[in-house]
Amino acid sequence: MLKKLGLTVLLLLGHGSADAAERNFTLHIDDGDLTITGAGGTTLSIWGYGESAGLPAVPAPTLTVNEGDTVNVTVYNHHNAPHNFVVQNVTTDANPIAANGSKTYSFTAPAAGSYLYSDTLNNNINREMGLHGAFIVRPADDSNTAWTGGPAYDHERIWVISDMDKPRWNDVAAAGGSVNTAVYKPNYFMLNGLGGFDAMMDHNTMIMGMMDEVTLVRIVNAGQFSHSLHFHGNHFEVINVSGVRQSTPFEQWDTINVPPMSVAEVLYTVNQYGEYPMHIHTAQAETANGVYLNGGATMIMMH
Amino acid sequence: MKKTAPILLLSALGLASSPASAVTINKTLCVSSLSKSLSGKTVTFWGFKDGGSGGMMGCGMMGGSATVPGPILEIGAGDTLNLTLNVNMMTPQEASPYNGHTIHLHGADVQTSEDGVPETNGNAVMGDTYTWTPSVGHEGSYPYHCHVHTVKHLEMGMYSAIIVRPRDGSGNFMNRLNQDAATAYDYSQVYVLSTVDPAYHTATGDSTVFADYNPQYFLLSGKEGKTTGAPAMTLAAAKNKKVALRLVGMHSTNSTFQIKDTGGNLKPFTVYIRDGRALPTPKTVTSLDISPGQRADLIVALPSTSGTWYPQVVYKKLRDNSAYAAVYGKITF
Repeated sequence: MLKKLGLTVLLLLGHGSADAAERNFTLHIDDGDLTITGAGGTTLSIWGYGESAGLPAVPAPTLTVNEGDTVNVTVYNHHNAPHNFVVQNVTTDANPIAANGSKTYSFTAPAAGSYLYSDTLNNNINREMGLHGAFIVRPADDSNTAWTGGPAYDHERIWVISDMDKPRWNDVAAAGGSVNTAVYKPNYFMLNGLGGFDAMMDHNTMIMGMMDEVTLVRIVNAGQFSHSLHFHGNHFEVINVSGVRQSTPFEQWDTINVPPMSVAEVLYTVNQYGEYPMHIHTAQAETANGVYLNGGATMIMMH
Repeated sequence: MKKTAPILLLSALGLASSPASAVTINKTLCVSSLSKSLSGKTVTFWGFKDGGSGGMMGCGMMGGSATVPGPILEIGAGDTLNLTLNVNMMTPQEASPYNGHTIHLHGADVQTSEDGVPETNGNAVMGDTYTWTPSVGHEGSYPYHCHVHTVKHLEMGMYSAIIVRPRDGSGNFMNRLNQDAATAYDYSQVYVLSTVDPAYHTATGDSTVFADYNPQYFLLSGKEGKTTGAPAMTLAAAKNKKVALRLVGMHSTNSTFQIKDTGGNLKPFTVYIRDGRALPTPKTVTSLDISPGQRADLIVALPSTSGTWYPQVVYKKLRDNSAYAAVYGKITF
């Protein structure tokens, strides 16, 4: 609940006026736990950015701003190792913040779209441990369009995808050991930090809509595997691939591959009633440590 | 299970296109075990087999042999397919809760009751009929596969393809990818991409084996095709002709499709359809990534001089896109 409360607060802060504004965020880096509930679930040791000290969240709080805003992100590192904060394709300062140090990153919000922020240090270990989140830039006029003059939508979902190798990475890194990064066999796959059993009931993750309503799905792959997402029930329109806006008319697919450290945006329109899954189509990514459907999956509810 | 209110409403509005030449196709599939020899090792699969058109009464002793991939079905846009899955006491299956099988018409966007996902519709896993009427404009390639404990059942070989073809005014299949005359072809082949981790074939239930996919064998339409000298698929065509290739991704890795000549030079091809939808702008490329669940319908124009080209799929790792293996097809002309 604390994680969701933090997300809501940040969204409220980020949705103020339509004019270019100064947006201030604070993130705290701590170690903590992420629990995957249900069969196959576990408690993973994680490192995360949180809105409050001592409350790391995986994924990190979504930072939502408007195009052209001045953004100030102050990051406090309460962990015993160096970390950083990089918004992919936006900020360039990848220098470490020392343990117990802090730094404020100031930058102008880029073109409307979906971005990944993460800790880029430590050979992917820090990102894998949970230091990743979504940075969302809405149009300057704050309209429900993917970008100024771009396609309109009724609902918005952000899917931060992650994968974690508990025995070889999380357990080792959390204990202060040396991770052999040559071997990565993730056994947990999450949408918004949730296994499938939770993500299929999570109203911030599920696609829900009435006839003809359009959901903009912002897919941010913070994991280290490519994830091929298959939507049942309807095709979607592909509007952004790896940060590149697509031209109209948009291509319609039912499966999209999102490589590690990349983003995609699709529009899913309700055109029939029913309940459908959305799931990753690769073998093990549908599971939590082998338990079917507690991996990368959620639901589409069309009413 | 068919023709509930929303569909009837669409029909009444004239939105569900159904040309006069459309037909109803009844097809029954059964499931049997089979063994395949892959790189000298024997691996047990579960494959679909053709049970004729007799509904639940099909298969039995009269059915054909199960294959991986299963039978490739061809239907016309506007046709109604009633695809019946026969599950009986002879059908290989897992213990509860993953007993039985379904057919998921991947990409067909059918009603929940026809979608073959037991978790979302309480659908029968001990046999059912799945109905789909693809619209004109939705021509292309669609996988069908079992959606029970998919992490295992797909891997076991329970997949193949349905090809939705355009019909002319007389009801005959046209040799085009869709109604667009630019998509005309002289030859066509279906390339079903799949990968095999034999550990998944012996594990059952919620085994931790399913947390770690280590593919050992890499297939094109069920064959290894490791070299250009022993290709998985061959086509004897003629120069100056057009070949349609339909790529159906039922694998669990990344992959890249290319066509090369004997000198290793890349040959361009044009992608007209992805995931059963015509591209607004067809794309002429020399390389195309196909991820698990994706499809592409493309055409390659053969040159005016005789030769041999090798369509090929390189299967790649999900983590870093490094190559596992290449699988070759072959076109002579």
